Amino acid sequence: MRKFFAVFKREYFKIVKSWSFLLGTLLVPIIASMFAIVPALLFSLNGDAVRLIIVDQSGTVSTRVKTNLSPEKLAEKAKLAAEDSLKNITQGQKAQFENSAEQFGGNFAFEDFDFQNRQIDDIRTELNERIKKDKLDAYLIIPQNIDGKDIKVELFARNTSDIITKKMLEEAVNTAFRNQRLAKANIDEAKLEQINRKVDFVTTKVSEKGEELDSDMGFFVAFAVALMMYLVLTIYGQAIMAAVIEEKETRIAEVLFSSAKPFQILIGKLVGVGMAGLTQLTVWLTSAALIAAYGLALTKASGFALQLPSISPLFIVYFALFFILGFFSFAAIFALIGSIAPTLQEAGQFALIPVLLMLGGFYAMFPITRDPNSTLSVILSIIPFASPMTMPTRIITETPPFWQIGLAIIFNLIAIAFFVWIASRVYRIGMLMYGKRATIPEIWKWIWQA
Amino acid sequence: METTLKVENVTKRYGDFVAVNNISFEVKAGRIFGFLGPNGAGKTTTIRMIVNITAPDEGEISLFGDKISPQVQDKIGYLPEERGLYKKMKIAEQLRYFAALKGISSKIADQRIDFWLDRIGLSEWKLKKANDLSKGMQQKIQFISAVIHEPDLIILDEPFSGLDPVNVETLIEIIAELKAKGKTIIFSTHLMETAERLCDDIILINKSRKVLGGTLREVKESFEKNMISLRCFGGDKILEDKRFVAEIRKHADEVELTLAENADPQELLKELLSNGAKVTKFELVEPSLNDIFIDKVKEKNA
Repeated sequence: MRKFFAVFKREYFKIVKSWSFLLGTLLVPIIASMFAIVPALLFSLNGDAVRLIIVDQSGTVSTRVKTNLSPEKLAEKAKLAAEDSLKNITQGQKAQFENSAEQFGGNFAFEDFDFQNRQIDDIRTELNERIKKDKLDAYLIIPQNIDGKDIKVELFARNTSDIITKKMLEEAVNTAFRNQRLAKANIDEAKLEQINRKVDFVTTKVSEKGEELDSDMGFFVAFAVALMMYLVLTIYGQAIMAAVIEEKETRIAEVLFSSAKPFQILIGKLVGVGMAGLTQLTVWLTSAALIAAYGLALTKASGFALQLPSISPLFIVYFALFFILGFFSFAAIFALIGSIAPTLQEAGQFALIPVLLMLGGFYAMFPITRDPNSTLSVILSIIPFASPMTMPTRIITETPPFWQIGLAIIFNLIAIAFFVWIASRVYRIGMLMYGKRATIPEIWKWIWQA
Repeated sequence: METTLKVENVTKRYGDFVAVNNISFEVKAGRIFGFLGPNGAGKTTTIRMIVNITAPDEGEISLFGDKISPQVQDKIGYLPEERGLYKKMKIAEQLRYFAALKGISSKIADQRIDFWLDRIGLSEWKLKKANDLSKGMQQKIQFISAVIHEPDLIILDEPFSGLDPVNVETLIEIIAELKAKGKTIIFSTHLMETAERLCDDIILINKSRKVLGGTLREVKESFEKNMISLRCFGGDKILEDKRFVAEIRKHADEVELTLAENADPQELLKELLSNGAKVTKFELVEPSLNDIFIDKVKEKNA
């Protein structure tokens, strides 16, 4: 056990302390967050307030528009939208959120402009001039008649591609118009609020297990999960192979074998590298969850509705479990290849076999998400080497009955025991064979050799 | 004297090839044991069985009176012939790792690393990566990894190959120091001069079989003193007489000759003097280990 820990510690810290690990672990979330957060931030942090003049020829809507565009109102709206997407937000998130919501809200500065008794063309010429001189950002022209058909409200602005501002103005004007019309029809403000109250729209999926909340993002999450699994398994599987070959090429194996049983060394190596992979996955998953929550809330607040998929803690447990199962079955194969091949280049050719197996499991995800309960999906999600990628996909799209998950776990454990055993038999002899690649009959002999 | 290692009738085969054939020997505690033989004789295979990397097909090996086990393994230090270090790992870290594999805590290991790096004069390389070191330096670092856990038995497979003469001397000194501390040392070599200087006991193997063994004294004495170192003027005819001389090797101002079978050195001297030769040196010499080695190996191969 003591020697196992010595190997484990070295293998784990060798990877975790390396620059490439640090870079990979931190860069992936940073790049991911760029895609999720940065656009939202860029939209929200548009700096100076928009200087706006409302030319309200009807004289009745401008007050409502101004109220709708007031910081309080906008913040309230953004908060509502965010609470919608984040059903359970923590106190910290909430505070952070209100901040950014207020940022959205504080975006308009209304300027007074006396347009009484002036021609519309005259007004426009003057306001255009102001925009050109950068004394104004935009102005709205509201017609005299607000009740008829084909009513047009015109927005003149320096920057017309700021879709957020445009959308806010459009909504504010529309709400103002609707409310003004309703008020004219003698419906009081309290009544108005009641009429305008939003209803919640809840999608419920009906599955064999009964009713379940659905998420539109199921497929994307399944895809991301399978991709992450595939990446980590490839990276760390190959890391095992490279480490085994390094010890063979540098002849360190001989010193190691004179200090501990080859089996202890191999297991220490597998567990050490596996835990390093799990560490990286944990960082990635945690940051992905945080980024998704934060980014989605931000984008939603700025008007883009995205539904956050519901990932249960149980799924995280399953995911970690299947990662471990997948890692050990593939790592055993990679270690086996490392013990047989004399150089890294030659090992690379053999490594194609497990990599193709993994790719197969990854692509199996597509038919599975389409029909998670077909016979094919069930088989693919149970057999070793495929199930580490396919079973999490199934669990997230449509949780299969527990006996199938259990069966997948058992089959994987059997496969791991078998391949680790073979790998350790071959490892203890192959590591001392220098210079030439072993033939199949030779490997067969090694397995049974005392 | 306590027996550290006992090898009894050990045989190891690789397919049809017999790498080690029924070899037996004992190594006593606190002595330096030379494991001699030409390349491919089976030295490394035997050593690998001793350090429990491979198992013998037949026969038994016991260490410190016990069968090999993890506890026993911790009492052995091994420097393999094929050597290497983790290329990208710092020297101190590698040594700490090798020590940990032998059950030494990093605190104790750190002290010993400092001591040994200082002893071999590589202190300033402590935090360098193995890649930055020359081959000879790496070899010395590897030697540290074999002794860092202060094992009772130190097995060095061809420890001198690849070292320059200065480093060979340093290593010889260290081996002597380790012996003085009561450690048992086994080393294999085909450098007979070094073996002759260092060893208390030797075994010579050739073509997977034991050829001879025992204390260096015994081995040498078991060989007849049939060599003569001679300096004389005249008497050339006698030296060509096949009744007396089997072989003659001429050096600068001396000749070295091997007596013919059953020839009496006294008779030869008498014959020389009576033929008017002027003899200034006539010495019966003990064969060197090198002579024994070549003689035995040739005899076997013939």
